[in-house]
Amino acid sequence: MYEGIRSPAIHVPKSMTDLLSATSRFPNAIYWAGGTYIMSRHDYYPTKDSNDIISLNEIPDLKRINRTDRYLEIGSMVTISQLLQIGKQVLPDPLTQTLQALGTRIIRNQATIGGSLCTGDLRLAISGTLAVLRTEIEIKKLDAPRSDSRWITTGKLYDRSGALTLDKHEMITRVRIGFDREDFSIFLSAGNPMYNPQESVNLALVCSYNQSVITNFRFCFTMPTGGFHQFQDIEVLARGTMLPFSPNHIARLAKMLGEAIDNSHVTVSLLQKERAKRFFEVALHQLNTQSLIER
Amino acid sequence: MKIECTIDGKRILLTVNSNKPLNSILMEDVEQSNFNAKCSDGNCGNCVVLLNDTAVLSCLIPAFRLRNAHVLTFEGYRRTRFWHDIERAYEDAKSHPCPLCHASKTLIFESLLRTIGKTEEKESTDSNLDDEAVVKELGLNRCMCLEANEIIEIFNSAANYRRRRRVRRN
Repeated sequence: MYEGIRSPAIHVPKSMTDLLSATSRFPNAIYWAGGTYIMSRHDYYPTKDSNDIISLNEIPDLKRINRTDRYLEIGSMVTISQLLQIGKQVLPDPLTQTLQALGTRIIRNQATIGGSLCTGDLRLAISGTLAVLRTEIEIKKLDAPRSDSRWITTGKLYDRSGALTLDKHEMITRVRIGFDREDFSIFLSAGNPMYNPQESVNLALVCSYNQSVITNFRFCFTMPTGGFHQFQDIEVLARGTMLPFSPNHIARLAKMLGEAIDNSHVTVSLLQKERAKRFFEVALHQLNTQSLIER
Repeated sequence: MKIECTIDGKRILLTVNSNKPLNSILMEDVEQSNFNAKCSDGNCGNCVVLLNDTAVLSCLIPAFRLRNAHVLTFEGYRRTRFWHDIERAYEDAKSHPCPLCHASKTLIFESLLRTIGKTEEKESTDSNLDDEAVVKELGLNRCMCLEANEIIEIFNSAANYRRRRRVRRN
């Protein structure tokens, strides 16, 4: 059964310098974070073309959590469980809910934040939530003569179809989450991205308002196989609106959302589209409720 | 690749492919192992083992992560005193998981009992366990042989036994 199967060489760098050196010596090796996504693929083992592996598990720089007055900086190898242990006071609510929805404790102990953002053909809810929260991501280029890094917003990590825009030797090293909080935030999720990717939909929405007038409104839908959707036209339309939204206004925005999804040129099932519209309506009704309670 | 690790208390030297999943290693490379779970994609939840005292899905653990690790399968776990807490809880609730998922569900219960043990020492967002969370955690194993109310009853009963055990020890 295992004839001709090659045992890949495992490289375990202990520092970022070691990692740069390993990347230059083994350019075809794959980076290994938690391994939950790679190993859950049906063709993972046995396979004849296994690349060498660079395990990122023993690089302290990638496991660091740093907190300043303005933001929280998380290394890409921090596990989802470790991130949740930071506590509700520090993490924004929608991010806490997203992380808890990512899988059971056993999976969360193993999955890392960097790995969850870099899954090849499956977009997880965390991408959308981080995009809505305007988090920044540090990308390190590992094949440059000198280590070269840049910060980008999470939305820029994916193209319009939801595909990862990282080059082969680029890697996420840190994620920076600001402490600015919006007045309203919600995370809604349906379906399991691993079992039913064609049915799963996640919505993260945040909103700020001043004297019942919306000043900031952002939302993002993540569909595991249908990518990553931010609809700036609808966001712009919602800004400046007086709360509460009228039922007609909600229906109009939901209809616009449906049309925008149709025009987005990605494969979205009918169920996902319907769920997305209903989630959006639920979120707007919740926003109405909160604004009315606060009056 | 040569890997030295401890499986069910026995020190073992394995010669396996570096990326071979732990569930395949337990089935094919470890002698006298009754472990039997071949899912290979983390979706059935039937292959839970304790790796360094933490519950993991063995199909998601590659061989190279096993260096000097302590693996406890259900066979090994049954020889520990902790097993009796869960077994008595099954008796109390008069419901047992089916033979297919018995090992896996028991080890998930065990990992949850360890979590509440830690919660009493340190409060954190990821260690709060209410009834809904317990049912969700057991949902990792996709076998539907236990109802939600049975899962909660078993867990609460096992938690009481475990608490008593800790009190006696202290």
